[in-house]
Amino acid sequence: MKKVLIPVVMVALLAAIPYLGVTMAGQQYLFGVAIPYAAAALFLLGFLYRLFDWLKRPVPFRITTTAGQEKSLDWIPYSRLDSPATPLQAWVRVLLEVFLFRSLFRNTKAELREGPSFTFASSKWLWMGGLAFHWSLLVIVLRHTRFFFTELPGLVVPIEAADRFIELTLPAFYMTDAVVLSAVTFLFARRLRDAKLSALSLPTDYFPLLLIGAIAAAGVSMRYLDKVDIMTVKALALNLAQLSFDPVPGTIGPIFYVHLFLVSVLMAYLPFSKLMHMGAIFLSPTRNLCNNSREKRHVNPWNKPIKFRTYAEYEDDYREKMRKANLPLEKE
Amino acid sequence: MNNRIQAMYALLIAVAMFVAAWFFMQSVHGGPSSARAAVAARAAAPVAIDSTRCVASAEWMKSHHMQLLNKWRHDSVREGNRTHVTSDGRHFDKSLNTCLGCHASNPMFCFMCHEYANVKPTCWNCHVSPMEATK
Repeated sequence: MKKVLIPVVMVALLAAIPYLGVTMAGQQYLFGVAIPYAAAALFLLGFLYRLFDWLKRPVPFRITTTAGQEKSLDWIPYSRLDSPATPLQAWVRVLLEVFLFRSLFRNTKAELREGPSFTFASSKWLWMGGLAFHWSLLVIVLRHTRFFFTELPGLVVPIEAADRFIELTLPAFYMTDAVVLSAVTFLFARRLRDAKLSALSLPTDYFPLLLIGAIAAAGVSMRYLDKVDIMTVKALALNLAQLSFDPVPGTIGPIFYVHLFLVSVLMAYLPFSKLMHMGAIFLSPTRNLCNNSREKRHVNPWNKPIKFRTYAEYEDDYREKMRKANLPLEKE
Repeated sequence: MNNRIQAMYALLIAVAMFVAAWFFMQSVHGGPSSARAAVAARAAAPVAIDSTRCVASAEWMKSHHMQLLNKWRHDSVREGNRTHVTSDGRHFDKSLNTCLGCHASNPMFCFMCHEYANVKPTCWNCHVSPMEATK
């Protein structure tokens, strides 16, 4: 239980820091401008560092994970997505993985039943929870562009409208707010509920979930419950988007600083944690390589050149001796 | 086969959620018939309007005006209660005209902030907006 408690305490402490810093010490500039910039810089540089670090590692061989028939003879049908034969097919597979989580769709659960018998069954809950979670996060991030741009980017307008199409509350209720909170609760509960999973889970698994949950909770509560001055928030966001170091233009409720600080923590934490799967999914060689090992010979580029000695050379060296011993020769 | 069954369940749940949401919205919008009778009874009663000061502080109105307007709409249209009594005992007609009585002097009053914050209220789907009224 300590594994869960430590992240809970950490997130609570992280939320308390900006709250106290703003209400007691009046550090609006630190939490509103300085820390977000530092976190964004850390995020960008860390993210790029991780990507370049991975990109410069050589991948000489095809280590594709396959889940279908490989391309071989023309009359044998092959699986274009599950054993891609061309780079294009491989990238389609990567994109489908990114957008639809195809590999999670194949998730199975193993159970030891009374008997004893060991059973496997398909389990779609993780796939569904993951999809709900990630898609809501994407929509929420896109929705936040309304703060950073004077006008909503064209693509975001229909997304935002679709998100609040159930006209339930005022300010308009966003479906993704509810979905992300329930999905993060499910993903958290999933790790606790199953004994095998909770044995596998580490504090670094619980921490991001709790952090994102806390960010969403702070965001939702300042939209619907403890409201903040949206005009000042927009002015601050526009300042941040223009990379200006002006002071915070007005007073904003402390819960906004909690939200912003936790987002800063998330940004700074992302490149150094499991959340880096955001960039890694595109670079994982088991996903983005096509399975053409039979079609094309892949030579390890740093292999030392090997001096081969052919039979012809051997015979050249020992021809006279072999003739004397009456051994058969290929060349007289 | 098992995959298909689970996918069917997921689809069913999604459809059920949408149907439930739709019925919920319908029931909220329809309202009981007793309320409709009350509206008819009380709509005629006029209220003297004090327009020297707003119904609440500017600070509160900045963050909560949409909830107040929504409550006013609900009270006057569904419950037939058209009189708003402020905390300091002043009386107001629960109507958008009460707001526009003062605020329509600036046709951009609503739009400046809403445009700035990229918020699209649904008020002007039915009501004539101050910007259109002055054209």
